[in-house]
Amino acid sequence: MTDVAVKTRLRGGRKVHPQPGGLRWVAPGFVLSVGLIYYCIFYSGFLSFFSWRGGASKMTFLGLDNYTKAFASSVFWSSIAHTLIFYVVVFAVQVVGGVFFAAAMHSKILFATLYKVIIFVPVVIAPAIMAPAHIQVWSSDGTVNALLSDLGMGWLAQGWIGQSSTSLLVVTMAQCWGAVGFGFLLYFASMGQIDYEILEAARIDGAGNLRILWSIILPNVKATTISLAILNFITALKLFDNPWLLTQGGPAHSSEFLGTMIYSEVSGQSRNLGYASALSMILLVIAIAVSVVMNTRGTERPTRKRRRGRTIADKETQDV
Amino acid sequence: MFEIRSRTQRFILQLVVTIAIIPFLIPLVTMVQKSLEGEGWTNYVDVMKVPGFGRFFLNSLIIAGCSIVLVLLFTMMASFGFSKLRIRNKEVYFWLMMAALTLPEVVLIAPLYVTAVRVGLLGTYWSVILPIAALQIPFTTLITRAYVDGIPDALFEAARIDGASTWQSFWYILVPLARPMGVALGVLVLINAWNSYLLPKMFLINDSMGTVTLLPEFFKRQYNDDTPKVLAAAVLTAIPEVIAYIALQKQFERGMSAGALK
Repeated sequence: MTDVAVKTRLRGGRKVHPQPGGLRWVAPGFVLSVGLIYYCIFYSGFLSFFSWRGGASKMTFLGLDNYTKAFASSVFWSSIAHTLIFYVVVFAVQVVGGVFFAAAMHSKILFATLYKVIIFVPVVIAPAIMAPAHIQVWSSDGTVNALLSDLGMGWLAQGWIGQSSTSLLVVTMAQCWGAVGFGFLLYFASMGQIDYEILEAARIDGAGNLRILWSIILPNVKATTISLAILNFITALKLFDNPWLLTQGGPAHSSEFLGTMIYSEVSGQSRNLGYASALSMILLVIAIAVSVVMNTRGTERPTRKRRRGRTIADKETQDV
Repeated sequence: MFEIRSRTQRFILQLVVTIAIIPFLIPLVTMVQKSLEGEGWTNYVDVMKVPGFGRFFLNSLIIAGCSIVLVLLFTMMASFGFSKLRIRNKEVYFWLMMAALTLPEVVLIAPLYVTAVRVGLLGTYWSVILPIAALQIPFTTLITRAYVDGIPDALFEAARIDGASTWQSFWYILVPLARPMGVALGVLVLINAWNSYLLPKMFLINDSMGTVTLLPEFFKRQYNDDTPKVLAAAVLTAIPEVIAYIALQKQFERGMSAGALK
């Protein structure tokens, strides 16, 4: 409706009808994506009320039992906890690392292009392909332990992957390895758009590098931080590749995530498609709820902040 | 961003950045180092001699290629329809599509598995291509529509007055003008399709259908955990990706950052 209004205004009252027949053009993409996705969601919702091993085996109606089973399961709650820990750590590392490298590459340093490639290559290589390398890095005779003993901290060396106290750490670190480059890329782009005059003005007022980073750069890249917060949450929720490839969710479920739980229920020995579907529905509800909350809060805040930031900046330039 | 006033400051910044880079190199260096243990470069030769090695790359190419074509074609068409043509209740269709925007693929595997078995798609390329495309299209349509909205309607009206059919407007006006967006999205889909692991693992159960992301597991079975050979295979699999990235840096970076607009 607003489209039409804008058009009428632009053309001095003459109403322009867009060409009809658009549905035909939208249909293929709509049918494929909406069709497949909604079909899966409804089917998943249906399956979640049954116990079923798939194929010709008998489907037993359970009502809400799969859901109560999930909420009563300690594995489920520990994977939720792992998801949260993983999310906080990866997000923090990505923001700190991303901002640091982006600011550094915007300053004049040597080999900036080479460094950029080194940070970004981990983003491009599939986790599945890197997994054997990460396993080597963290294995008992691996690189981390070798480095620790070289640095005189050999007493810290341990079998990182095989023990429940550190398996989550390995998965998280492997993810951070690939995540920092992505944060860097986004921050590098949004820092490039900061008005140079603001930085100059602040510098003339005597602000140091850290002060500028904190009071000017960070507020200006807030939109990037918010979109990283949302993206990371979705990534943490659906996480499968790294935990499955590095630890298989173990030992003793110590690095279990919802993704690995669902996968084991679908393809494991004790296949239970009903339970997998119930877990999927829970995951879906969390994903939708969180992205709605983050999107609405995320779009309200930065506009207000940005406006305030601009007036301060205007004042500063005037003062100068 | 950082102002450097003295030589010492410059040196310190350079040093700090260089030290901070090291963790990123560790897995890469480890991978190459360990892959040369034992028989050295022979590991690589052995890996390449394994029958079916090339097949994994071919499969990944087919899947990535089909996903790109499908996603780009459907996205361009849908954006054209949403942006420039008349559809009754347009926004309802649009928001139905956008509701699927942040959908995690794991939630699809149980129903997809059952369905793929039932309709006989299990173990075919389609069982991977269709879900990949379906999951990408809402997002690619969202940003391409915004992009196409920026193309003046007057261009399409002029073409229409000159007697161009809708199809001609699409092919001769929209497609060329939306090409930069198309390239960025093509790269995004390429990375997502090439790196996808869960869907191929779930649906491409035969080794002859496997994608490159399944190679490490394939070699683990082949070599019974002969680590240097497994790592040599991983290095060989990673090389095309690294080369592609270095050759197409700008496109990769644009494509990946397009993915963040979600």
